[in-house]
Amino acid sequence: MKTETELIDDGLLLRRMLAGDEDSFTFLYRRRHPAIYRFALHMSGNVALAEDVTQEVFMTLIRDAKKFDPARGTLSGFLFGIARNHLRRRWEQDRHSTALPNDADELDTLLAVCAGAGKGSHSNGNGNGRGPFLVSRDEFASLETVGRVRQAIGTLPQNYREAVILCELEEMSYEEAAAALNCPVGTVRSRLHRARALLAEKLHDEQPLRRASAVGG
Amino acid sequence: MDCVQFREIYHELDRPGTSGFIFRERALAHAEACAGCGALLTDGEALDFALRNLAQQRDGSVASPRVEAALLREFQRVKHVGQQRRIYRQLAILSTAAVILLALGLGVHYRIVSKARNTPPQVASTVVKPAAETPVISATPASPNSSKAALASNTQSKPASVNPPDDNEYAEEFVPLPYADDPAALEGGAIVRVTLPRSALASFGLPLTESDGTDRVAADLVVSQDGTPQAIRLVSQATPNSEF
Repeated sequence: MKTETELIDDGLLLRRMLAGDEDSFTFLYRRRHPAIYRFALHMSGNVALAEDVTQEVFMTLIRDAKKFDPARGTLSGFLFGIARNHLRRRWEQDRHSTALPNDADELDTLLAVCAGAGKGSHSNGNGNGRGPFLVSRDEFASLETVGRVRQAIGTLPQNYREAVILCELEEMSYEEAAAALNCPVGTVRSRLHRARALLAEKLHDEQPLRRASAVGG
Repeated sequence: MDCVQFREIYHELDRPGTSGFIFRERALAHAEACAGCGALLTDGEALDFALRNLAQQRDGSVASPRVEAALLREFQRVKHVGQQRRIYRQLAILSTAAVILLALGLGVHYRIVSKARNTPPQVASTVVKPAAETPVISATPASPNSSKAALASNTQSKPASVNPPDDNEYAEEFVPLPYADDPAALEGGAIVRVTLPRSALASFGLPLTESDGTDRVAADLVVSQDGTPQAIRLVSQATPNSEF
């Protein structure tokens, strides 16, 4: 059951924030920043950059909240638009696109899995070995696939990457994504379609190579 | 459904509100019948699975608390600046209003004062209508000490018209003043009733009269057209004139 505060919509929280209510700003930040942070993290693959972008997005909201027009879209779309602009500016300044798999946690997990598989484990009779650091083969495959998908997303053109992240990872509707990207719904749909085709192609192309390496050793 | 239509919608079969969601059953039926489209569907489902896993992996990701702390500091700073600006704006509005009111007040005051200065003083009709009678000027000139200035400083003019001495008054003959013009030029002049200090009579060359208890005497002045007194005569009141 939602609390009273959780039932308050973004528009009311924003008005209270503009009136100087710090608690309303805090609640609004905690409600909306995770999606912004994830978007920046998926786009950049860099935790520090994602935090910087998140901070800049909400700094902009604090200073220019009056620029938000409810008639033009949701607050969430407004914030994603700001995040997108900040990311583009950072890339323009840095002049490089950071590849995705720089997540230390993900790497540690994969290394731990590999170490556990090498030590061996007692079987429970079903062929699923379990040990302190060992995960099941399915989980390993899942982690590996996730890593490959993340890598593949990082190689997409920026417009396609944005469409995949917003529509597939953040589960936005076409309309919400269109508002965030400031483009028509049809454009979002076609970009997503093309992006998925490219991702499927990349993942499919890697599979024969992986099967060959597995057989070989 | 054909393969072209399938390829357009197969990536959104699970997305509500899309054409893929609407034609989902037809698309699945086509995929079962078409190997190529079936393979596309399988790849798409595998991609969906991977994307969902990726999304779940990041689901709880949030920025570190330092970000929130920095934002709250900025919020407080902007709020403080905003309050100061509001105060300054109110002060500016009040100051502007005060200046405008002050300017209006000064303007009104200046207009009132200017009007008062420009209004000519009400001259109680001191000089007056032309002489009702031809002044008779005696041959005895006034004392050389008499002067126009003494006349001006010691006389008080009687307002309203000057009439010839009435039954209650006794007037002597006009005595010309030392600087008097040719008597023939007095035509068109006026006779002005004045009151003089008794002591001023000597300056006009007139003998001091016996005091009747008042220190002022009534006199008639003959004034030429240019306003210069030409002659004077004393007017005695049968009853004291309390006018001055």
